[in-house]
Amino acid sequence: MTDRSPSSPLDPDRLDRVLAPFAADGAGLSVSVEDLDGATIAGPPLSRTTARDARADGRVTRDIGSHGATVALLVASGPASRDPAVAAALDALAIGLGELADASTRIPPSELALGRLHQRSIVSLRAPDVPGYDLASHYEAAREIGGDFFELFRLRRRRRTIGVVIADVTGKGIAAGLMMAFARPVIHAALDAAPGPAVALERTNRILVEELHTRLFITALVGSLDAGTGRLRVANAGHEPPLLVPGNGRPIVNVTCGGLLLGAFTSLGLAEIEVELEPGDLLLLYTDGVTDAADETGERFGEPRLYATLDATRGRSAHEVVAGIRDAVAAFRGAVEPTDDVTIVAVGRHRR
Amino acid sequence: MALQTTVDHVEARVPVTVVGLNGELDASTYEHLIEDVRGLYAGGTRKLVLDLSGLTYMASSGLIALHSIVQVMHGEEPPDIEGGWSAFHALGNAVESGGQEDVLLAGEQPGVTRVLQRTGLDQLFSSYPDRASAIAAA
Repeated sequence: MTDRSPSSPLDPDRLDRVLAPFAADGAGLSVSVEDLDGATIAGPPLSRTTARDARADGRVTRDIGSHGATVALLVASGPASRDPAVAAALDALAIGLGELADASTRIPPSELALGRLHQRSIVSLRAPDVPGYDLASHYEAAREIGGDFFELFRLRRRRRTIGVVIADVTGKGIAAGLMMAFARPVIHAALDAAPGPAVALERTNRILVEELHTRLFITALVGSLDAGTGRLRVANAGHEPPLLVPGNGRPIVNVTCGGLLLGAFTSLGLAEIEVELEPGDLLLLYTDGVTDAADETGERFGEPRLYATLDATRGRSAHEVVAGIRDAVAAFRGAVEPTDDVTIVAVGRHRR
Repeated sequence: MALQTTVDHVEARVPVTVVGLNGELDASTYEHLIEDVRGLYAGGTRKLVLDLSGLTYMASSGLIALHSIVQVMHGEEPPDIEGGWSAFHALGNAVESGGQEDVLLAGEQPGVTRVLQRTGLDQLFSSYPDRASAIAAA
């Protein structure tokens, strides 16, 4: 993910990553998104059938609706597709994609190109180019499906504002993968529509708790960065706090702004705090896969090593900082298999 | 990393079962812990103290374990998280905010406290500095 060659927004490899959690070996389930002509937009290509045929040949489909019209189909096949719990999960995923479609466009549904929808709002694995800033990320999945996700994107209608999301679904396995696939577009759409990150997390939590009755939890850190002023508003639902590395050489600041995690309580009451990114400053977001990485003796990478790595890479670009942490974690871990996803995101503001 | 558990039954104001956790609570161990508590509940335990003084590390999976343990001690059957699909959309309600008194925590180490506080799950539990004070409060 740190090597991002320029590619078409419809590059199937990139779209497939959205649905990758559903393609787990042995899961007995395969999930794709198809357009209304039956062409596979994302996920493993199934058979070349039309939507009507899909219903007839034993596959399970869900309409992805926006503004009252179907814009695409979610298609599941395989032995597990008839599992009642899978049906519920597919409902959730289709609702999530539909909400995203609602939120990400005011264009009449007939003109809505799903490819563009994916490009804008679901995948966003490629960080936007923001003049004056470096945005960099690294994501490394553990062998079992983990639940980390992150996103960097321009907010709809507030193009100068950059949405920053990093999150970790507790637990592992297919349930965590599904939850990740569901929560990601929901948080994105909520941040697009809400006045700020705290409200966005509150809305997301309400959907998780009241509509999904989920038993999985998510820690999520959500921010909106005004690229013009460098002002970043942050709300934190139980996630590791972000670290601010000042460009003027001062000590690293732990931006403490804790709050309840998503999915466990009916209301969060999160505080929102504001941080100013001065020219030369860098903000680091990460998941516990970084600090919890263990070496052969069971010792953890921990915050002190993370701080030391950040100090050692001061003044470098966001890409170099992210690569530095990635390499430090890998060197520390040695031959030990990662047991958790590792996600690192850095937002650096250029010096004037 | 391994997790060792000890079990003691104590007669306080009410019968109390103390489970001592030694080692690390993470994705590889949390299901065993839930299973242990399930067995204790089936055997009649209705008041549980988790002695965390020997717990050196708790991953986010540990949060699921603590949550599930509260459910088990309420007489509810938590979904099988690793079972996958059912966990994603289990019927039932989320954790109610506010405390419960079926499960008490004792002797948390700072790292564990940090995870509980960061995520807000500390709100679910009354915490005591050590096993004796937790038993006295049970």
